[in-house]
Amino acid sequence: MANPEASPARLAELLSRTALGDRKAFAELYESTRSKLFAVSLRIVREPQLAEEVLQDSFVSIWNHASGYAQAKSAPATWMTAIVRNRSLDIVRRTRELADVDDVLAGNLVDEGAAPPAEYQASVDAHQLHECLKELEAEQRQSIALAFFHGLTHSELAAHMRRPLGTVKTHIRRGLLRLRDCLDRTQGAEGGR
Amino acid sequence: MRKLPQDSAHVIAGEYVLGTLRGPARRRFEAMMRADAALTTIVRQWESGLMPLADRVPAVEPPARVWRAIEARIDPYRGAAPATAADSSPSPGKWSGLWSSLAFWRTFGLTAGGRASVLLAGFLYLSTGPRGEPVFVAVLTDPTAPATAPPHLVISMHSPDLLRVRMVRPWANVDTKSLELWVLPTKGQPRSLGTFTNAPGDTMIKITATDPRVQGAYALAVSLEPKGGSPTGQPTGPVVASGSIAPVRRS
Repeated sequence: MANPEASPARLAELLSRTALGDRKAFAELYESTRSKLFAVSLRIVREPQLAEEVLQDSFVSIWNHASGYAQAKSAPATWMTAIVRNRSLDIVRRTRELADVDDVLAGNLVDEGAAPPAEYQASVDAHQLHECLKELEAEQRQSIALAFFHGLTHSELAAHMRRPLGTVKTHIRRGLLRLRDCLDRTQGAEGGR
Repeated sequence: MRKLPQDSAHVIAGEYVLGTLRGPARRRFEAMMRADAALTTIVRQWESGLMPLADRVPAVEPPARVWRAIEARIDPYRGAAPATAADSSPSPGKWSGLWSSLAFWRTFGLTAGGRASVLLAGFLYLSTGPRGEPVFVAVLTDPTAPATAPPHLVISMHSPDLLRVRMVRPWANVDTKSLELWVLPTKGQPRSLGTFTNAPGDTMIKITATDPRVQGAYALAVSLEPKGGSPTGQPTGPVVASGSIAPVRRS
């Protein structure tokens, strides 16, 4: 990344200041998060031009609604990533082939041997999530990862995984419930939630 | 709006966050979420649970034109596109409109160069009191009002340790809320100076020029908060008045 990863505390501070119209803070917020958020959108919308549009819309929205962050009670990166993913899912008009789906990324989710990207820093939350993903069946995990990273719909997942639509829907549903139970268990143990 | 059974709520919220809930179903779910705080909480939990996955995505640098376009959309001096074109978030009400209005933000005075002086929504300056202590005065107006409209607030040092917030012209339609005064320091989070009511008269805030809250201050802002002030210690509501200031000196 061209810019150093800002700490969650720093991002929260920048968001608070953005809420009061501080343009310098807003610029730093953009600097600190743009390349990650652009990458997240790019995987879903596929076309750089669309991802640029998403990033632009998302940051205008962040500027206008930064005060909403305080009410969301989430980590700043979570709040911003959700905005970018929602916007990406809203504007994606998919007529494309699914050949370029990154199965490696989806497949390596819980593979401890796989080298994470250089800038990847395992946060506690990420660690818990990966531990919980391990508890899922392989196809449940794969469906969830493909949907998350690439924004695939149920039918796209079915086509990509060569499984009946109903099977894929069941994978997602059961996978999500198991994931929730696991996250509740691990986070509950720390007094979170 | 009907309530979803617990597991269904969790699955649908999970699919919403995951992105497999699409089209009209996605819109319907968003409407349900707005009406149901518990559902919103479940969505937030899923967001917190799943978003760390995004850490795995290798970063890609966006072109510089993206930032220029963002700046243009939040700064009327650089472009004409409406700032709210892409806002899908629900934000009804007069103050939300003001919050996102370009006319408001361009008056904040935090823009580069001499732009701040073009539209003087609020100003604050330092002078020296009878005994040499710093005195500052701020006039905070609603920037959407005509230039001839009287200001809403006049803020001044009443004595060396009392800040007087004089409500000259109360805002309409904010009776059930508190107004909260914030200091924006050059470093760190906004600091609250306290709340005051939306009624004519004075509110005195005990503060001296050496108070840590005003060190490094470069702007003041007033936000609309729930009664009693922000529940989080940081601004949560729309800003209804603001102005840039000269640094408050130590006496």
